[in-house]
Amino acid sequence: MLNKEVSFTLMGVITSVYNYLKPRILGMMVAFLFLAVILVAVFSTAWPSLDQIPQNLEDQSNIQGIGVLIFTEFVVPFEILAIVLLSALMGAIYMAKGDDK
Amino acid sequence: MAVEDLAFLIPLLPALAFVLTFFLGKKLPTGGAIIPIAAISLSFLISISITLKLLANPEMVIHQSYNWFAMFNIGILVDPLAAVMLSMVTFVSLLIHIYSVGYMSHDKAPSRYFAETALFTASMLGLILSDNILQLFICWELVGVCSYLLIGFWYEKPSAASAAKKAFLTTRIGDVMFLAGIVILFSDLFKIFNGTIPEGVYILRFDEIFTHIPEIAAMNANILGMEVSHITLITLLFFGGAVGKSGQFPLHVWLPDAMEGPTTVSALIHAATMVTAGVYLVARTFPMFIAAPDSLMIVTYVGAFTAIFAATMGIVMNDLKRVLAYSTISQLGYMMLGLGIGAVIGAEAIGISLFHLVNHAFFKALLFLCAGSVIHAVGTHDMRQLGGVAKVMPLTAATMLAASLALAGIGIPGTSIGTSGFFSKDAIIENAYLFGETTGTWIPYVLAIVAALLTSLYIFRLLFMTFYGKPRTNYGGHESPASMTVPLTILAVFALFFGGLTSKVFNEFVSGTFVNNFVNMDINELATIGGYHLASHGHHHEPTLILWMPMIVALAGLLIAFLIYGLKVVNMDSLVSRNNAIYKLLYNRYYQNAVFTNFFSVKVIYEGLAFAGSFIDRGFDWLVKWTGEIMLEAGESLRQFQTGAVQNYATAVIIGVSLLVILVKVVMEVL
Amino acid sequence: MMIPIVFYLALAAIIFSIGLYGLMTQRSGIRILMCVELMLNAAHINLVAFSSYNGDLTGQVFTLFSIALAAAEAAIGFAILMSLYRMKDTINLDSINILRW
Repeated sequence: MLNKEVSFTLMGVITSVYNYLKPRILGMMVAFLFLAVILVAVFSTAWPSLDQIPQNLEDQSNIQGIGVLIFTEFVVPFEILAIVLLSALMGAIYMAKGDDK
Repeated sequence: MAVEDLAFLIPLLPALAFVLTFFLGKKLPTGGAIIPIAAISLSFLISISITLKLLANPEMVIHQSYNWFAMFNIGILVDPLAAVMLSMVTFVSLLIHIYSVGYMSHDKAPSRYFAETALFTASMLGLILSDNILQLFICWELVGVCSYLLIGFWYEKPSAASAAKKAFLTTRIGDVMFLAGIVILFSDLFKIFNGTIPEGVYILRFDEIFTHIPEIAAMNANILGMEVSHITLITLLFFGGAVGKSGQFPLHVWLPDAMEGPTTVSALIHAATMVTAGVYLVARTFPMFIAAPDSLMIVTYVGAFTAIFAATMGIVMNDLKRVLAYSTISQLGYMMLGLGIGAVIGAEAIGISLFHLVNHAFFKALLFLCAGSVIHAVGTHDMRQLGGVAKVMPLTAATMLAASLALAGIGIPGTSIGTSGFFSKDAIIENAYLFGETTGTWIPYVLAIVAALLTSLYIFRLLFMTFYGKPRTNYGGHESPASMTVPLTILAVFALFFGGLTSKVFNEFVSGTFVNNFVNMDINELATIGGYHLASHGHHHEPTLILWMPMIVALAGLLIAFLIYGLKVVNMDSLVSRNNAIYKLLYNRYYQNAVFTNFFSVKVIYEGLAFAGSFIDRGFDWLVKWTGEIMLEAGESLRQFQTGAVQNYATAVIIGVSLLVILVKVVMEVL
Repeated sequence: MMIPIVFYLALAAIIFSIGLYGLMTQRSGIRILMCVELMLNAAHINLVAFSSYNGDLTGQVFTLFSIALAAAEAAIGFAILMSLYRMKDTINLDSINILRW
């Protein structure tokens, strides 16, 4: 790749741009299409925003609230998540380790 | 803790034993036989104490019921009917398990045997304890499976494998009818409740079913232009299930073949317990039967016909176990007959029939176990090769004699001297006489009397041919070990004395099942719905001749057997030949095999199917072919989209979603 | 001082589209995994934004759980890629087709 000659002719630029775009153009088009759809949707929606402000403007920190929620209402999902994470880690290690000789 | 609270343990203990034996049996001596034996002994102790308790308090009934799902429950119900069955099944099963230790000692897989018999015992006990028809049906199927497994226990023998298959398929016909009956019953009850079942009402529970009998009886169905009451339809379908399970004509064909299994299995399942499940079903749903016009009549005739039909075939069989198998069918016919004559004697019929059932369980299990003892020692079950076994195996011969006397029903009428079979069979035949007197049809009575003669004839033929006379061939043989002879002796005591000692108490106890127990049924009122005229009570003043008739024919049978097979006054060899038409007919079992297998299965079903198949085949052939071709073409072109790369699919999904949103938006704008 | 919710949503849409573009055009397994993480995080931004604007902490707790799960997923994904690399000497997904018919 390094010893490939780089030409700065117009044709060369067009060709290289074309070569760069050719495998990506479909992806780009689709991504832009999707982005356009989402943005139009987002901007054309009337979001009710007046009476929905973050609670407690003085103390913006929500760490305490989240902590309480995790250890009260969501304690079971939390424990399950811990197990899932642990088993995923064990599985990952097992797979990544390979057979050591 | 009261013993009735332990009732649920009765089926659970053997079920537990099944699991333990199944997994641990191989590691234990004698295939882990000790586990089921211990479990069933406990079950037996619980059963017998419950029975005694019920006997002491006639008002008592044990009923526990739990919600299963929606409108179904699981529960246990111990009323007199269930109690005696429980005691009988646990008792016989216990003895047979003990006996099996010796009998299966040379087998390759005794642990499998004991696990399966334990499972069988558990399901049978579950069947008896059921307080609703659905649970009963589940256990009913379970015992069917166990029967299949145990008939095919020596599955490496092709004959055993095919016998198991035959038993399973034949009983299946009955089971499907039973299930259909349950479905109809369910939909009827659903209709009665107008589709809204109150909380806590389980519509397939027996008390619920029984209290709605009049409403079900009021419904009518039109079948082939005949108005049939729903209750008749349901009970006949139930009876169809019983016919399959209890080997009644015409679904009896599986039972003789079922003798391919170990003899202990024949004794336990195909003589004492499982085949009586059909009788138990009819007895359990007796209030429905008596409220159903014509049903009990059909039960009577099928029972009586089966009794004589099987007995005639029993006379000519040369295989020890087959004679006993036909005898079982015949005796089951008697039990059905006993229930059928409930058409004139009401609830008493349950007592009479169940009494015969229990006695039969004792002496038929004994007969089978004796036969097993002989087979175990001698190694053949062809009676033509045996003879004089009594000299080698005196104890077996003595118990066999006791059982034969019980089966033939020897006793002195009017006294309480006699074998068990005497009291129960006599009661059935006497009541068949009453049936004839009341309804004017004497066919059941005549059939029952002739069948009694044949019964005595075939069983003493078996006895004389096998145990007495001179040995026909050289066979080794020795008396069986104690684990086999002890159960034989115990059963022999029961076969001889149980009937005489308990006949009065038993009948009153069991007949009271539906009177003031579980549900308070007025049998007389139900009989009015069914259109049966019950004979007034205390009608028993048969002529002396009628009273002595069963005894006379039994002795006549004995005498004929003794003359022919003991003293050989008639040369049987000339009689027993392929040229004798009657012999040929009987020996070929009325050509049932030809009719059922060769004609029905092969000609009608196979060829019918083949013809229809080829017709349809050709018609649809090109259609199928072209459908296939088009699909192939379509697939060929469509598969190019299926690159298998997830990224391409993701792209397609995103494009699709975007276009869909745009489309929806555009459509919304336009509208 | 409130940032309107629309901006958060627009940011999330853009991040999502970037991830989408990568997912559709890239061939390297690691890049694709990274893109998937991008898309997932875009969804997290939405969750947190709505949660904050609704004054309900549940969404944020949910996001925490989701992040933990994403970690598990990434661990497994990279472990798979590692064993694939050991086996095939490549993580170009086009040349890995052992599970294709």
